[in-house]
Amino acid sequence: MTPSPPETDDELLIRLRSGDEEAFVILYRKRQAAIYRFALHMSGSLTVAEDVTQEVFLALLRQECGFDPERGTLSGYLFGIARKLVLRNVERGRSAVALENDLDDGTLPELAVNDDPLVELTHREDIAALRRAVQALPRRYREVVVLCDLEEVDYADAAVVLGCPIGTVRSRLHRARGLLLDKLNQERNPRQAVGGLKPARCLS
Amino acid sequence: MNCQEFWNAMSQTAPPQMGSGEEMGSGNAGMTTVRLADSAGLPNHEHLAHCPGCAARLRSYVALQKGLRAVASQMGSMAAPPRVEARLREAFRTQAGMGAGGWQSTGARARWMPVSKWTAVFSWATAAAALFAVAAFLSGGRQPELASPAVSAGVEMAVAGMPAEIETDDGNPIDGRAPTDGGTSTDGGAPVVESGFIPLPNAAQIGPNEEVNLVRVEVPRSAMIALGYDVKPEEASGSVQADVMLGNDGLARAVRFLD
Repeated sequence: MTPSPPETDDELLIRLRSGDEEAFVILYRKRQAAIYRFALHMSGSLTVAEDVTQEVFLALLRQECGFDPERGTLSGYLFGIARKLVLRNVERGRSAVALENDLDDGTLPELAVNDDPLVELTHREDIAALRRAVQALPRRYREVVVLCDLEEVDYADAAVVLGCPIGTVRSRLHRARGLLLDKLNQERNPRQAVGGLKPARCLS
Repeated sequence: MNCQEFWNAMSQTAPPQMGSGEEMGSGNAGMTTVRLADSAGLPNHEHLAHCPGCAARLRSYVALQKGLRAVASQMGSMAAPPRVEARLREAFRTQAGMGAGGWQSTGARARWMPVSKWTAVFSWATAAAALFAVAAFLSGGRQPELASPAVSAGVEMAVAGMPAEIETDDGNPIDGRAPTDGGTSTDGGAPVVESGFIPLPNAAQIGPNEEVNLVRVEVPRSAMIALGYDVKPEEASGSVQADVMLGNDGLARAVRFLD
């Protein structure tokens, strides 16, 4: 006897709409971690991340939540709300303060070390440096890196979340990675700084 | 192809993957995939064979991808604390339970204060409670009495403890002042305590020293019928604001309609 396949988001949403608390809990447990991490990466604050996660799912409870399956996935819709809420917090200035307090005070839990000698950037210090570099990115670049590289949202969904064409997502991602490399190179080798890895002109 | 053309092409394709020769993950299915071929993790590309600069830069991109994957995997276990789920479940139950016509027909709308505001609320509540106690003492030292045996001390504490105005996240003040009519009534069958809070059926009583939280929600007016209020049929489809009192366990204990 094979176990029944897990319900899709749309199926869970239908059950939720009919007042099924279990469906809501399943949906919440399925999606909350990604939303929480997205808000955490974007704001740098555990408090803001918690607030945003709560507000995102409260929005889902509202009858007039506005989710339209024709326009994208539920996951993309939730990320979209989270993004707006984070931006609102940033505008209020909560995140800037929280970023310093939370991160500098080590509020973020210590990350485990992934032992893979073949991977250059898996040392604890390198990971921490990379995480700092991501958080130092301008918002428009940070959000594509967090969505596409860290949360593995597909480019089409990311385009819906960010409200831009898919080509813009790709080009921002490319630019963001370049900025990350420059930032990491600056940290590792301040003298060479920017341009150390940039290709020389090539006519081949 | 020169360097510019090469990088333009790269920016329009999916990034090189971490594993050797792996296809793009399902998340980006359908994108052009660069297949990794050599041990250095670089894709097969004619340009790279002739341009060490681009090869070096691309190698650093691959390393960056590995690093990002490591960050993602290490933060993968991070999730919202369990209290968020508890609050949301309570909001769900409040919303589902208070709609007389059921969830689908209510259009109910719950609003919670952000976590960070609870601290401010509790501070204000404590200050207001202290002020209330001092005022009672100065006005003759008469001990406050329970309005009726049915009213728990916790309810009174909440009433006394709320400041005159507390701003919610949407800027609306929560009016925590107790109504002036006082006393307990049983109009419509539901016991109404002096604060206007009606204990919910089957809800546990609030303990004498239990801290309570107030949450403002918007519910359909028809929900008032279930608690014994008379509601005109033409008004039943409208909404009304209500304060829901939550116990230590996050479960709703009593409700007060603001209209």
